[in-house]
Amino acid sequence: MHQNSILLLFLALAVIAVIVFTYVYLSSKNAEQSEQGMAQPLKKRFWFLLILFVILAIFASVTIPKSPYFLFADETPAKIVHVSSMQFAFFLSEHAIDPKNPSGEPIELPVNELVEFRVTSLDVNHGFAIYDGSNRLITQTQAMPGYVNRLRYKFTEPGTYNILCLEYCGMAHQIMRSSFIVK
Amino acid sequence: MESIKLRKITSVWILAVFVLFIVSIILGILMRLNQGGVINQNPVTFYANMTTHGLTMIGIWFVAGMAAINYLMERYVKTSYTVNLIALVLTVIGVLMFWVSTFIGKFHAAWTFLYPLPFKLLGAESWSTLLFLLALTIFGIGWLIWSVSLMTQILRKYSISQAFAWQHFKKNPSVDTPPFILISMITLIGVIASLLAAVVLLALLFAEYFSNGSFVNDALLMKNLTYFFGHTIANEMLYLGLAVIYELFSEVSGRPKWKTTWYVALAWNCTLVFILTAFFHHLYMDFVQPEGFQIIGQMASYLASLPAAGVTVFSVLIAVYRTKMKWTLTNLLFFIGVAGWVIGGLGAVIDATISNNVVLHNTLWVPAHFHTYNAMGNVLFSIGFFYWFSTQFAENIKPERFTKWTLATLLIGGAGFLLAFYYGGADSIPRRYSVYPAELSIGAPWAVVGAIFATVYLIAILVFFYNISKRCLKILSSPS
Ligand code: HEM
Ligand SMILES: [Cu+2]
Repeated sequence: MHQNSILLLFLALAVIAVIVFTYVYLSSKNAEQSEQGMAQPLKKRFWFLLILFVILAIFASVTIPKSPYFLFADETPAKIVHVSSMQFAFFLSEHAIDPKNPSGEPIELPVNELVEFRVTSLDVNHGFAIYDGSNRLITQTQAMPGYVNRLRYKFTEPGTYNILCLEYCGMAHQIMRSSFIVK
Repeated sequence: MESIKLRKITSVWILAVFVLFIVSIILGILMRLNQGGVINQNPVTFYANMTTHGLTMIGIWFVAGMAAINYLMERYVKTSYTVNLIALVLTVIGVLMFWVSTFIGKFHAAWTFLYPLPFKLLGAESWSTLLFLLALTIFGIGWLIWSVSLMTQILRKYSISQAFAWQHFKKNPSVDTPPFILISMITLIGVIASLLAAVVLLALLFAEYFSNGSFVNDALLMKNLTYFFGHTIANEMLYLGLAVIYELFSEVSGRPKWKTTWYVALAWNCTLVFILTAFFHHLYMDFVQPEGFQIIGQMASYLASLPAAGVTVFSVLIAVYRTKMKWTLTNLLFFIGVAGWVIGGLGAVIDATISNNVVLHNTLWVPAHFHTYNAMGNVLFSIGFFYWFSTQFAENIKPERFTKWTLATLLIGGAGFLLAFYYGGADSIPRRYSVYPAELSIGAPWAVVGAIFATVYLIAILVFFYNISKRCLKILSSPS
């Protein structure tokens, strides 16, 4: 989901929650001594749970297949980019990076073709997050020492993409960044 | 029943929590002001303050919940005053050590101290990491003793199956397990599990620290341990608050006491399982983590909302709906707190969806949702308890004249502070950035908005602090 739809969904649900709680509170404030509360609460509880369960089940079955682990899983990437991160820089290269003497190169990626980033870290955990031309976070993975995370993505828009570190890594975390071009 | 000693130590806990809370809020406001460009802190100072804020907040709301259930548990079983006192002393020592490590030693690895960052800090004193780890050890010992002791006391009176309320699955159970005991039991197990994970984590960190490079930890294992500990303790402390609500909500409302039913028993038994497996959602962006765990993470996160919403929240709503009852500050805070818990939970479930997490992970959406169920949920549960407790022993309490206005201030301040986080998260602003990069400069005005509303929230907290602490001080000075 796009961030804006996520925010709207959340705000809508939050407003509903506020309305329900306010309504219930007022119903108590205005209640007569003789009122009996909710009729058949067990039955209503059951229906509430069932509906909630169904909504969650639908939501899960729609979203889980869209998890990054399954996207493009059986396609072959057209391009592979190696990423090594360290406090406080990213090295990107089309060739394997020597951990003892890491170095990077400018990266240009093809539009509408599958790219695989092989992301690791040489010191602490970092985050490898890709922001598009309108500065929207579009995808990410973690950079963990001793492991390589493979992030696959198809860029549909040409332009410059920024990479920001999205796992707290120390005093210069906020300026740890890089970028690449999609043509 | 409860002794004067217990009354006094509970007052000390309340005063300590309030003072530390106010300091931590001020640190939080300073963070937002720095992110908004209003003040200009050295990044190391910013991150050290962030570490102090995060761990102090987690610590105080955990001990606030523990002190509350310890106090109420005395209604059912005998609890140990000595253990309570040991926990208090160790907590105070731990806080002092921890604050020296951050304020003076500039330790700044964040409250999650994710391996191997504590060993690779630049700009901190070299001794600060060891002191921080020792402070954690002190907390761990004190809190483990406390939670194990409370659990043991429960098990002295109730058998294991009674403590889990299993007899309620059958018709007409001969023994009733009070919901308070059931929830305390379930929650204490989670607390102990999380603290044991912390012990393992600390042992592994110390092993590497003292091995001079001959022993190196596995980063993925350490991350799983870190979040098993961090996620679980942060969730269980909320459930401590729920135990208090199950015990007190009906009582302060002048309504019949809540009973354990088969669905309450079932809900809390399920919660135990879900809460211990939901932590996997913290590792969604670690693609090397086995996929099965990732799916379990999403499932458990979703399922955890069923007992919470279908049983606890629904019960609170039923208890209130069209029912004439006595409204006091305590049950109002409980009620609003449950609403805050629900709203934060909605934000959490959205984020616990893997396909959303790709664009929300480590953005401001994360502090947005957890501040919702903490600052507008758990904090209100605890303050509700504090208020109830403080009025127990006061003669002729007149209704607080400003209550309505204080609550309105709290709500407006809280809502604005949180919305600034949510909007920042939706704008892809990263969390844990001392300042925002030029292309994400939209984060700065949101931060200023957050700081202003947080100040409003702080005003309401100060009013509560004033009212409650003066009564707690009176309890302390009364003859024993
Ligand atoms: C009005 C009161 C509060 C203010 C102004 C405030 C402010 C903040 C700010 C600005 C951050 C850093 C956000 C970022 O990542 O950029 C933060 C993080 C955090 N806050 Fe709060 N907060 C408040 C209340 C609370 C409460 C009640 C809790 C209770 C648990 C809490 C727990 C945390 C934690 C655990 C972190 C994460 C620290 C880390 O990243 O290591 N905060 N808070
Ligand atoms: Cu970083």
